[in-house]
Amino acid sequence: MVTSYEYDVLVMGAGLAGLRAALAAHQTGATVAIITKVHPVRSHSNAAQGGINAALTDRGDKWEEHAFETVKGSDYLGDQDAVEILAQEAGQDILALEHMGVIFNRNEDGRLGTRRFGGQKRARTFFVSDFTGQALLHVLYEQAMKARLPVFEEWFVLSLVKDEHGQCGGVVAFEIRTGRVALFKAKAVIIAAGGLGRVFEPSTNALICTGDGIAIAYRGGAPLMDMEMVQYHPTTLRGKGLLLSEAARGEGAYLLNAEGERFMEQYAPNMMELASRDVVSRAEQIEINEGRGINGCVLLDCRHLGKALIRERLSQIFEEAKSFANIDLTEEPIPVCPGMHYMMGGVKTDVEGRCWDLAGGWRGVPGLFAAGEAACLSLHGGNRLGANSLLDTVVFGRRAGRCAGEYAKTRSQPRIGDGVVKDGENSIKGLFARLDTDDTVARIRHEMGRTMTESLGVFRDQEGMAHAQQTIAGLRERWNRVAIHDKGQVFNTSLVRALELDFMLDCAETIALGALTRTESRGAHFRTDCLHRDDEHWLKHILIYHRPGGSPQLDSLPVRITRWEPQVRVY
Amino acid sequence: MKYAFFPGCVSRGGCPELYQSVKQVYPRLGIDLEEMTTVSCTGAGVLQEKDLRLGDILNAHTMALAEQQGLPIMTICSTCQGVMSQANHRLATDPGYLDDINRVLAEEGLTYHGTTTVKHFVWILLEDVGEQKIRQSVKRPLTGLRAAPFYGCYLQRPSAALGFEEQPARAKSLETVMALLGAEVVDFPGKTRCCGMPLITINEPGSLQMVAHHTSDAKEHGADVMVTPCPLCHLNLDGLQTKAAKHDRREIDLPILHLPQLLGLAMGLEPRALGLNRNLVSTKSVLEKLGVA
Amino acid sequence: MLTTFRIRRFNPESESPQPYFEDYQLVTERSDTVLDALIRIRETVDESLTVRCSCRGAICGSCGMRINGHATLACKTKVASLISSGDAIQVEPMNNMPVIKDLVTDMTGFWEKVRQVQPWLQPAGPEPEGEYLASPDAMNHLTGVMGCIMCGACVSDCAALEVNADFVGPAALAKAYRFVADPRDGSSSSRLTALNTPGGMWDCTRCMECIEVCPKEVGAMDRIMTLRAKGIEQGVPSTCGSRHTEAFADIIERKGRLDEPMLAVRTFGLTNFRQMFSFLPMVIRAVVRGKLPKSGPLFRAIPGVDRIRRLFRRAKE
Repeated sequence: MVTSYEYDVLVMGAGLAGLRAALAAHQTGATVAIITKVHPVRSHSNAAQGGINAALTDRGDKWEEHAFETVKGSDYLGDQDAVEILAQEAGQDILALEHMGVIFNRNEDGRLGTRRFGGQKRARTFFVSDFTGQALLHVLYEQAMKARLPVFEEWFVLSLVKDEHGQCGGVVAFEIRTGRVALFKAKAVIIAAGGLGRVFEPSTNALICTGDGIAIAYRGGAPLMDMEMVQYHPTTLRGKGLLLSEAARGEGAYLLNAEGERFMEQYAPNMMELASRDVVSRAEQIEINEGRGINGCVLLDCRHLGKALIRERLSQIFEEAKSFANIDLTEEPIPVCPGMHYMMGGVKTDVEGRCWDLAGGWRGVPGLFAAGEAACLSLHGGNRLGANSLLDTVVFGRRAGRCAGEYAKTRSQPRIGDGVVKDGENSIKGLFARLDTDDTVARIRHEMGRTMTESLGVFRDQEGMAHAQQTIAGLRERWNRVAIHDKGQVFNTSLVRALELDFMLDCAETIALGALTRTESRGAHFRTDCLHRDDEHWLKHILIYHRPGGSPQLDSLPVRITRWEPQVRVY
Repeated sequence: MKYAFFPGCVSRGGCPELYQSVKQVYPRLGIDLEEMTTVSCTGAGVLQEKDLRLGDILNAHTMALAEQQGLPIMTICSTCQGVMSQANHRLATDPGYLDDINRVLAEEGLTYHGTTTVKHFVWILLEDVGEQKIRQSVKRPLTGLRAAPFYGCYLQRPSAALGFEEQPARAKSLETVMALLGAEVVDFPGKTRCCGMPLITINEPGSLQMVAHHTSDAKEHGADVMVTPCPLCHLNLDGLQTKAAKHDRREIDLPILHLPQLLGLAMGLEPRALGLNRNLVSTKSVLEKLGVA
Repeated sequence: MLTTFRIRRFNPESESPQPYFEDYQLVTERSDTVLDALIRIRETVDESLTVRCSCRGAICGSCGMRINGHATLACKTKVASLISSGDAIQVEPMNNMPVIKDLVTDMTGFWEKVRQVQPWLQPAGPEPEGEYLASPDAMNHLTGVMGCIMCGACVSDCAALEVNADFVGPAALAKAYRFVADPRDGSSSSRLTALNTPGGMWDCTRCMECIEVCPKEVGAMDRIMTLRAKGIEQGVPSTCGSRHTEAFADIIERKGRLDEPMLAVRTFGLTNFRQMFSFLPMVIRAVVRGKLPKSGPLFRAIPGVDRIRRLFRRAKE
């Protein structure tokens, strides 16, 4: 007896983008379910600390300024039609969140307060202390409870399913608690399963950020875009890579080198510590490489901000510094270094979250949508501004959800045979049946992570990246043989981690391929063998298509420019 | 070593044997007490359910009087101690709040400067009286007596208000004292848990279940007796033990001693003088074990 | 440093599923958390060791478990902070919820109770065009309780839940408080009325375990106390719990100290003969031992009670 569920819209992932999409789809009258490998409030959206950007016109801000700074931050790789929508709709979404119950920080007059964030001249970042992501996530989950949205918690998606016309028809997944495989039929599937941070080691990302959604869409036929664009956050803790929010610098913290100099003066004399993240991370890495670091780090100094401000507005990172680095931020500067943080690239979508092109300019999968970090519009281009990721999830999560809901109304349920469940069961059985070797999933994953960090970090070159590409291919071979030692059906995390690694290897492969292809330096992609931005050849996106059994196929799309021609980027 | 003595309500109400036994033991430890007679109940965390600030005003009043006398306060009740510690902690960490409370006290001609130390008897034993003097006072070591400690929530949590960081030994103070008296300390998981007292009115079966569980668990771990520094725990563990045993359909009969009663026995004092005849669960087995009866 | 971890294992698929302890020895470093150690055991010793974990930074709430007897987050607990005595570090799943496998518990019941308090904003009127106006203090105050990450540590160690599975519990009550204290919420009186029922806010035993174990300093019990105060203030129908509190305050105001028998009588209500009668054997034993406290007119007020009464009055002003 095959278990199957049927909905108009199925959302994979229950972070901010997923919840926002599900709520929006629900509002169109569609039947909606969420499928997620962790409970919604365990999602990685929690980790966004600093805030969410919006230019509120009633406060004298202009959406055009926000849009321009986003475009400049992207090193002119962001598609400007998408950026304009983001900046124009931001205000309404912030207010919607406030009405849902988010406890945004207030001014003395009782209105929403803001702080300044990197790459932007104005204070337009709305925030809840320094756990803005958590505060938003819990409120959106409250709304999902209110709407009684069914949530399939701790279900792991194995693959996308399509009907005979290539129309997306749902997913096959298994319940982690029981090992049971089931078919989830849906007229529209929204991939909102987050980023792929764990492809790198270390990373600020949670252990669940394994690119599942990205790889599933890719294997299902949707192209990935801008995969070479990986953000390294300037303030992470060395070792485990935990994040210290940009809110610290937003509130006025300094970056110092071993000689006690505010070295950003040399690199970004106007914006200083609040230049865009790629610029600050590169500056730090140069200081460290040239011997002005301390054990591979520079110092983040918050002391002059005062105890009261640190405790009130930076409470989370105050605690974090104490727990994880044994440092009292009010007394001592804390060593930080650049660390992998965010994936600008992802599953290519249009501005309604569709993973196929109505105009036919690129190929994709009808019925498939994506939003959040898993998606790539491209909004963030070569470098995302701080506090634009939360905004991305709510604006484009909402748009994808609404479009998917409306789309589902026009379609009948695709015909999917029960055989796909058997296929899913067999793929798991096949993994369990592998003969024991002395290799482990963990070992392969660690090697992948180290390779990516070494060769696809802040500074990159042809030789290193080519080497990484070969290494990844070798690791794929090893994955094909590695055995799973726990053969149980109930809560088998060994199995989950093996499947996650499978997805991560696809992601690693496409990152390396994209980076090798782009022979210039732009945004976070900085090649020591191609030092300059090359607008003549590379003002375009790289698309990568999966080819079963063969090498990935490359394509490109021009950057969509509406009003801001590329300029030299100075902060 | 002089203290302003805060006896609390229960030591003169439901557990008079506690007051009685404290009066017997303190002079033998070189402690001098001046009893506070014009001070109110701490609120016991109950008044605080209605009005936290009112509770803090009452406790600030008590502490201000001790401050005037230049004396630290001694309590003999975990709850009194905890509630006053928490009030003191709030007042010490929030100067604006202290000012607010002082505006109320000012009309009585009082100011609290936040300098009063409030210590439970068991902390005083370790921190002020000291090991040596305790040992010296022991005339009849409790050798062979297997005793289980039961702290009472307010003497364990929240640790931030109780000064555990500065005085880490406080976390295990009761066990340390019991061992100094020669008793064999019986460790069991319930020693820092709730006795059930605050639940007795709202959830009597639950409260009794806690009593039955902790007393029989201590017994199963080999205890001859349970010792508590909290008369409220005593009310439940001793006073309601028979009812709890009936509720849980089992025999328990575990004598529950107030800490000063145990100390008095070790000092060689007469059981009657320590009020051991007033505990509801018979203490005879303890006396037999010590060869006193 | 060589450290022993004594981990409670449970495999529901084994032939006779029974929990058991298994010891693992591991070299740990100063910076290691218990979660780091568990992951290392899983990766290098026993792949089947099952634990939920994600963020590693005390924000996702996945890795709640009991370490040396108290619930906490494994990712926030330094190994070095635990090995003072050289004893093994004991790691167990959370309490007050069923265990699925090893350190993974079933939190379905936890979430059902959270849902029970209708945990979403219920605004008083129509939405304003812009944001709701709210004081910065009110919003800052809410950050304390909004910091809750729903890890379950408070529920795990809750003494009241151990004896009453119907108690809604500290996490759900803290969540309820988050709305009752939100100036934008219009349903505080119906929320308080709903919490004024058996299993609600009066069922907490005030043991402070939830305050002590909370990794985010939410202070659930303090929130529960404030819910009670607000309930009394808004005049929710009296219960044993609220009568106890009201009578207690009244007695202290009049006498300065506690008249225990009077408190009992006023709490149970004069008509609740059955429950009062059940305490008779205890009362008789107390009489026999000459320790039944004086009560009513025989119970004397403290010297200088007038001042206490004045303090009560001024506190109300």
